[in-house]
Amino acid sequence: MKGTVSLTDIYAKYHEQVKFIPIYIREAHPVDGWWFGGNLFTKKLMKTFAPKVAMDVHDPQTIEQRRQVAGTCEASLSYGVRTYVDEMDDAVNKSYAAWPTRLYLIDIDGVVVYAAGLGPYDFHPSKLEKAIENYL
Amino acid sequence: MMATKIVDKKTAATWQEEYDTHAPKVGDIAPDFSLLDANGQNPVRLSEFRQQKPVALIFGSFT
Repeated sequence: MKGTVSLTDIYAKYHEQVKFIPIYIREAHPVDGWWFGGNLFTKKLMKTFAPKVAMDVHDPQTIEQRRQVAGTCEASLSYGVRTYVDEMDDAVNKSYAAWPTRLYLIDIDGVVVYAAGLGPYDFHPSKLEKAIENYL
Repeated sequence: MMATKIVDKKTAATWQEEYDTHAPKVGDIAPDFSLLDANGQNPVRLSEFRQQKPVALIFGSFT
């Protein structure tokens, strides 16, 4: 889409100056949760606007299952960036209120300089890019 | 486990409201953490990048 920027683009542009840490957290729309695949409209919507999003994943019940899905996700999205996996207590997810998706930029003093609003509505890689530009 | 099982829009909003209250805002120290990758290896700790590099955190899942 014209004018949009992807996380892959941002990573390619800034990975030497910024450490990127993708974190796989609890599934957003698993088959056994708030599933979008059972509704024809949402299914079509997701396939159109988010074709790489999986529609047939169950919420992992063990850390091994979670790592397996995270690995499949990492390979599918082809970011080329190592993905880290939240533990089953969802500790990191909870401390950043990250579900279903969220972006942050942390400066070299460990201070938050960009905190996106709640996902998915405020998931805008372009805002993260702007924050990186402003910080650097 | 999560305090609220998310099964619809309402439970999603409840979960987000519950945890967003305590989530770090601009100007706050980012909560430290240590995690492993998808192979259960290569530990990373957020604080190891202090005085080294800024860090972009990208949270998400497969669905």
